[in-house]
Amino acid sequence: MKKQGVERLIQIEKRIKEIAEESGLLTTEITFEITTAQRVLEGMSYGFPVNFSHWTFGRDYEKHRTIYEHTGAGIPYEQVWNFDKPKAFLVETNPFALNVLVIAHVYGHVDFFLANRYLKHGRSFSNVAEEARNASKRFKEYEARHGQQEVEKVIDAGMSIQWHQDPDPFFEEQDEETVRERLIAFERAKLERFEDVKSKFKKSETQQEIEQIEKRLERLSTKTPPEPTYDILNYLIKKSPKPLKPWMIDVLTVIRNQARSLAPNRKTKGLDEGWATYWHVRIMRRLFEEGVITPEEHGVFNDFHSGVTRENKAGFNWYRIYLSLFENIKERWDKGQFGREYEEEKNAFKHSRWDTAAGLGNQKIFQVRSFYSDRMAVEEFFTDEFIREQQLYIWAGLPTANGDIVYVIVEDNPDVIREILKNQFTYYGVPLIRVENGNYNSQNHLLLRHVWNGYELDPKYMNATLEKINHLWGKKVFLETRVDDKDLLAMFDSERKKK
Amino acid sequence: MPIIVSEPVTERGRKDARRHREKQREAIIKKLPEIIADESIITQKKGRVIKIPIRNIDLPHFRPKTGNESEGIGQGDGQPGDVIGHKPAQGQPGEPGEEPGEDYIETEVEIEEIIELMLEDLGLPQLEEKEVKELIVELGYKIGGIVKSGPWPLLDRRATAQEGMRRFWIFLETLKAETGSDEFICFSALKQAGGLLEKAIEIIKQNQLTSKESTIIPFPVFEADDLRYREIQQDTENQSNAVIIAMMDVSGSMGYMKKYLARAMLFWLVAFLRKLYRNVEVRFIIHHSTAKLVGEEDFFRTGESGGTNCHTAYELASSLIDTEYPTNRWNVYVWHFSDGEDFDPERTIEELGKLIDKGVNMIGYGEVQPDADPDWFKNKRSGLWQKFKNYFTLKETQDNGLGIAEGDKDLPLLCVRLMEREHILPALKAFLRKDRWTQ
Repeated sequence: MKKQGVERLIQIEKRIKEIAEESGLLTTEITFEITTAQRVLEGMSYGFPVNFSHWTFGRDYEKHRTIYEHTGAGIPYEQVWNFDKPKAFLVETNPFALNVLVIAHVYGHVDFFLANRYLKHGRSFSNVAEEARNASKRFKEYEARHGQQEVEKVIDAGMSIQWHQDPDPFFEEQDEETVRERLIAFERAKLERFEDVKSKFKKSETQQEIEQIEKRLERLSTKTPPEPTYDILNYLIKKSPKPLKPWMIDVLTVIRNQARSLAPNRKTKGLDEGWATYWHVRIMRRLFEEGVITPEEHGVFNDFHSGVTRENKAGFNWYRIYLSLFENIKERWDKGQFGREYEEEKNAFKHSRWDTAAGLGNQKIFQVRSFYSDRMAVEEFFTDEFIREQQLYIWAGLPTANGDIVYVIVEDNPDVIREILKNQFTYYGVPLIRVENGNYNSQNHLLLRHVWNGYELDPKYMNATLEKINHLWGKKVFLETRVDDKDLLAMFDSERKKK
Repeated sequence: MPIIVSEPVTERGRKDARRHREKQREAIIKKLPEIIADESIITQKKGRVIKIPIRNIDLPHFRPKTGNESEGIGQGDGQPGDVIGHKPAQGQPGEPGEEPGEDYIETEVEIEEIIELMLEDLGLPQLEEKEVKELIVELGYKIGGIVKSGPWPLLDRRATAQEGMRRFWIFLETLKAETGSDEFICFSALKQAGGLLEKAIEIIKQNQLTSKESTIIPFPVFEADDLRYREIQQDTENQSNAVIIAMMDVSGSMGYMKKYLARAMLFWLVAFLRKLYRNVEVRFIIHHSTAKLVGEEDFFRTGESGGTNCHTAYELASSLIDTEYPTNRWNVYVWHFSDGEDFDPERTIEELGKLIDKGVNMIGYGEVQPDADPDWFKNKRSGLWQKFKNYFTLKETQDNGLGIAEGDKDLPLLCVRLMEREHILPALKAFLRKDRWTQ
């Protein structure tokens, strides 16, 4: 980009920040780095501005690059990180108007980062960006010392279970002994209640219960984990009998921290993108009205904007649907279309023309951006009317006689669509699996349990993942799950596989 | 300043992408048994290109099993029942491979590449094309170079004369240098001395010159060292010929699977040998109680009833080698496909022994039994297999379910028992084992 262009962009950035603040968005100092498309494509693929090497990153990079170079679509234009000092990329070869759009869009994201409770939490773990940068150097040394393949095996294994975190994003982590003491104290308290009663008055059932509690107490003194944990990676790092070498623990810890800091983004992706899109539209309009950008530039912006928010016949376009959601919420709360009276209005005409001039729209959307996750938003704001208005449907690919596949709309019932979306956003495709026992069969075998929610595990993926866990655990790994309505204890044993 | 222009950093995406492609290759190698057993490859005559779906490699993770993979949410005009898209049929069914994968792209891979991968998988990447197994063929004698000694009849007059002329000029120069006389005097002296240098020097020094020539007419001067003889060499040629003599027992029912297994083996054998030799021929022999030479079509089509005399095929192979493919000019590979039944195994062994003595490179015995009990080691061996095993003291091993019997390294005999498609790759591997090819 020419120096003149940079100067002008700096001026525009200042103005965007002012407009954002006037509109009530939270701001902070954002670093915009003007760089090459390739660097942005890498950023999109590696999770952080600089990160360690891994083939999955390379695979994604190649995919992005191929799309960018061969179709011209997918212009890399939006990369911003939820850091204490947020950082975003601008591509030097992108049209000027597109870079202005990116700055406006990024200000929307940064407000979301600063205000949304999930993303606030995502920043609280550690300085992951710096950690990723340093890890890239350390991992390279590990590769030199232990071989690329060995390091890759550990990264593969760690990443295969990285999203298995506690389902409560605000869960406070406690070390095993603290948990054990808490549980023991709980059982003791129960026991004490019985001790007040003189033994000769004790009923036999009471006596049985006391024995049970005592048995539990005995087990608790050695049980690991004292209570089931969903943070599989954490448990392996702390308890693997393999034993893990210090460099392996380092690798796994980096992966776990990265996943934990990125998880909140996964929970809020739709709202985050919708919010940023909602604001870039308004900021760009202001810049045009103020003459900061030319009509031509505004035209270029419009082209990109309509490209990004185009409806997708076979996909869920976050940008479009969540932008519409914020607009829909604003309109409804401005008109007072909420609450019992509105919900219960039977007259369809009155219902649709409902307007109490409540004027609460702005307040409501800021509230949604602060406290909601995507799942909560689906539950509360994906009303029948909204789903119909958005023309959402379920499609399926059906094979035909000659082997072709025809994609057909199979369902447009709002109830069904809402359920599917809710399910998708509950665990983000990560089944609930917890560590039950780290000393199963009294032989340090690992026992995992799949918490049944109606969906079987994909068997091929399941076995391959157990193999990865086994690589970190070193001993047999078991998983309780269900297949065809029957309980199944799956097992992976590296020893047996060798034979 | 919140907007900065960044410094260039090294690109790591490409490097990591390369690693992903390596993993894709590994995935193809894992799928080789499936790929090479694919019928459309071996039946196809022209165009050595096949299509293999190559997926992006996915990192394993726990995920819900979805009933219908191709299903999703979409947006736009339309009602249930409306068609929103269409995808043409794929050449190869998208059967999931060992590695879980997603959004795969179908890539064309050449058979050459598959062969490379197989060789690599076998640890034979250094097997340079057409490098091994060149034969030196004696063609008789030929005039080779020129040498300084030899029998008189082989004196090469022309070459000797050339040497003589050279000698003349050397002597003339020497004379000039020794005596300081001009070249006419020297020439006259040399002529008078009859070509003898010592004598010419004497003539000049003692002024015994009888006549002085005014032109120099060079004449050859010979010393023993100047005689040149023709050399006789053995005429040889490096040839790179191989023949596969494919023999098949057509006595029993030649079921579809039997034909397929034999055909697949032959296809890949030919493909491999084409990499190793410049010229590869395939000859087909079928037999029941008698054997005959047939064309490729008949080889796979014929099914006849009657007795089974395997030795007739081996005899015919022997005479074919004697008349058309002498082992000093041809690398000979014999492959016999049979269900193991033989009326006269003793004679078959005798004939097989003769083939080995002729110096064939390899005899492969493929027992094709698609319907047999897969529990091979518990199963009773066929007559012929057992006879081979006892007579040649073969050792039995197993590779991925394929039964193999072979003797020590020097015995060019390999017996494999093919029961299903998946046995083709291990059978080829046994055939291509490293120590057979690296000399």
